[in-house]
Amino acid sequence: MSDSRFTQVGIRPLPPPLAPAPRRRRPCLSAFLLGAILLGCLLCDLFIPKDPAYMDLANCSRPPSAAFLFGTDTMGRDIFSMIWSGGRVSLFIAFLATAISTAIAVIFGSLSALAPPWLDALLMRLTEILLSVPSLLLIVLLQAVLGQPNAVTIAIVIGVTSWTSIAKVVRTEVRQIRSSEFVIASRCMGGGFFHILWRHLAPNFLPSILFMVVMDLRSAIVAESTLSFMGIGLPLSVISWGSMLSLSEKALLANAWWIILIPGLFLIVTLLCITDLGNRFRKNANRKESNL
Amino acid sequence: MSTVLYCLKKLAAFAVSLLVLSVVVFSIARLAPGDPLVSYYGDRAEKMSPAERAWAEERLGLHDPLPVQYARWLSNALRGDLGISYKYKTDVLEVIQGRLGNTLLLGGLGFLLIFGLSLLLGVLCAWFEDRLLDRWICRIGTVSSCVPEFWLSLVLILLFSVTLRLLPSSGAYTIGHAGDPADRLRHLVLPLTVIVLGHLWYYAYMVRNKLLEEVRADYVLLAKAKGLGKGAILFRHCLRGILPSYFSIIAISVPHILGGTYIVETVFSYPGLGALAYESARYQDYDLLMVLSILSGGAVILCSLIAQAVNERIDPRIRAGEVGPLV
Amino acid sequence: MTAPLLDVCHLTHVFRHGRLILRAVDDVSFQIQEGEIFGLVGESGSGKSTVARCVMNIYRPAKGSILFQGIDICDPRQRRANQKLLQTKRQLIFQDSASSLDQRMTVAEIVAEPMAIHRIVPPRGSLREEAKFQLYYVGLGEDCLDKYPTELSGGQRQRVAIARALSMEPALLVADEPIASLDVSIQAQILNLFRHLQEEHGFTFLFIAHDLAVVRYLCSRVAVMFRGKIVEIAPTGELFRDPLHPYTRALLSAIPIPDPQAERSRPLPPFDLPAPQGVLTEAAPGHYVLRSP
Repeated sequence: MSDSRFTQVGIRPLPPPLAPAPRRRRPCLSAFLLGAILLGCLLCDLFIPKDPAYMDLANCSRPPSAAFLFGTDTMGRDIFSMIWSGGRVSLFIAFLATAISTAIAVIFGSLSALAPPWLDALLMRLTEILLSVPSLLLIVLLQAVLGQPNAVTIAIVIGVTSWTSIAKVVRTEVRQIRSSEFVIASRCMGGGFFHILWRHLAPNFLPSILFMVVMDLRSAIVAESTLSFMGIGLPLSVISWGSMLSLSEKALLANAWWIILIPGLFLIVTLLCITDLGNRFRKNANRKESNL
Repeated sequence: MSTVLYCLKKLAAFAVSLLVLSVVVFSIARLAPGDPLVSYYGDRAEKMSPAERAWAEERLGLHDPLPVQYARWLSNALRGDLGISYKYKTDVLEVIQGRLGNTLLLGGLGFLLIFGLSLLLGVLCAWFEDRLLDRWICRIGTVSSCVPEFWLSLVLILLFSVTLRLLPSSGAYTIGHAGDPADRLRHLVLPLTVIVLGHLWYYAYMVRNKLLEEVRADYVLLAKAKGLGKGAILFRHCLRGILPSYFSIIAISVPHILGGTYIVETVFSYPGLGALAYESARYQDYDLLMVLSILSGGAVILCSLIAQAVNERIDPRIRAGEVGPLV
Repeated sequence: MTAPLLDVCHLTHVFRHGRLILRAVDDVSFQIQEGEIFGLVGESGSGKSTVARCVMNIYRPAKGSILFQGIDICDPRQRRANQKLLQTKRQLIFQDSASSLDQRMTVAEIVAEPMAIHRIVPPRGSLREEAKFQLYYVGLGEDCLDKYPTELSGGQRQRVAIARALSMEPALLVADEPIASLDVSIQAQILNLFRHLQEEHGFTFLFIAHDLAVVRYLCSRVAVMFRGKIVEIAPTGELFRDPLHPYTRALLSAIPIPDPQAERSRPLPPFDLPAPQGVLTEAAPGHYVLRSP
């Protein structure tokens, strides 16, 4: 078949393609910092100078010095060592909790969206009631059921209490997509449920939840530290960023700023890096020019 | 549908949700392991003989099966008797009464500030999209959204109370100055700052992003072609378009903000319901916990119902009903 | 006369919306022979798209039967037994190509999707090669392969949709107003493409449109739908020469005359017509019209 045949039936050659859009800045700095923090926490055994759990009672609440890089807390533990080994626990909890909540959210959300209306309504009512039960109560209950808190139980507690918002987004997205024409087209072509879920639904709702998942990671870190700080998370003996900060009340009395500021700054830098990386996932969607 | 019928329907939904909520909270609280006698009798509970224990449990009505306990609680509650706090040994209502005002003041003010300021910031950002102001607001917002509330509270106390000695670090008023509004205000500044800063950016972003999406709709182009000004388009059309979804998000975020107040109240030792709920959950103070949970849960349900109703008034698409499922 | 490729008998479909019941398609019957372009015209809301969706098994009709190559597709058992054949030999082209193509897939993936679903070993080596071939078929170059639908123009997108439908070498193509959302100049291109496909390769079309000029140009036979009923079926030439049903006449008179003077001076026919009643009766050989018995 020659091209002239097409010209004959009225098809004109295509106009030249437009130049590709310029690439946006990549979050190099935050990726690097986050990588460094992750690696440092993973490999902390190699370089930390002191046993993070050792209480050097002769050196309580020492300000930062050459011997104690970031000072010691009110129980005489070396903060520099605690930060790295505590970060390992905190990040582990955060990742596990995020995985748990995302899994629940995706399954629950798409189930609810694809289910018949009555089941959908029932499931949504359930989430609403779950949402209206104060999370504090749920956390305390789960703690009591799961027994003595450790990293895994804290992760489960955080994961189980934080999936509803993602589930709602997944449900809304799937409901919007499920009756759109390309899904109908795919069904007409014989696409099965899993083909549609994998090829059409997931790629379409993934970008909108990816950002939320990253933010979930962030709020899991915050939740762990808050719970431990309030005394309903990890006990003092298990070192994490949260349990380190639970000594802050005493530090306030002693005006020992380093006990509060240094672990907190570490926490915040980590959160900032995660946020910055997460924002990249979100911004790509907005390519169109403003009409205003 | 007539307005009366509509209101009745919403009221019925509210009542049913409250009932289900009370069942859920009741069973959660009773099923959780823990010894309620400890919270009532304190250390004495551990030294009790089995006979004494049995008598005490009988007196507190802990012997009966759960449904019976629930039914008794419900019938008492409907008659206005919400039980007694095991820890404070007084009527639950009395315990709450003393603190409700404090929390309403803190939470309500915080909520209003968050609501108003987030709209303002969001509109500002949308107006100056990708310009200097927008970029700086976003940058500050990103940083502040990464600061955990309890840590921010600690730093503020460290700075303003311990170092500068400007503001009080705890309580709702200085003892002896309970009636002094200026003193109360001084005690409110730090907790309020934490609550507002902790949530403001999240909602401001939401407004900004929704507005930016809205601004890209075709009708904006039409309005511009008609000759409407930027402000008129933004305020009269775009803002109106995003308000329904903003309302529902704000409404379902009530638990989020409530959850924040209990952290802040605990850190600042602010005598409010959040700190009380935290205490009662830790010490199995059943009756108190029930009432507090239902109070906060009820507020959440009420807010989402209001959001729904407002949405249905503003947004005709929701009122028209949904299109049936195809899959 | 051989058995028709598609035989729609007494098709009825109702939509329920709360207590409201809408008869979108009411006792519709028609046949499509192999190799013809069958036009279905009517105003918006007359039930054309519903017929198409019933033919594609997207809706389950309330009454009636649809035979495709002798298979009753309304019967769940027969449908399941012939699932693969039905899914490959019937293809649908939507009105709005922007929403019928998944925005997150590249053109190559879109065109090859049916082959991937049915795990057909591509005769030209790879799925990409296959997609390239199909695109060439509809007049698109290979530089489109890695683009996303949003980067294409409306006409290009519709061609991608056509290429996807053609990739299974279907016996019946159901085109649901495929050109209604395109510019007039692009419309002509797509129409020519359809005509070319039919003449060169003998595809059978169920072509749904609301534009009579388009139908006149493209179709060999036309059915006119009004409020869920077919009021007239005839070969295209005959329908335009001798419209029998009053609605068809009104519709035909709505075609503008390309002469401003004549266009302005011509009287407007009555627009309000009662809901159609009666049964289809043969007025002339092959020319059926809805008449009261």
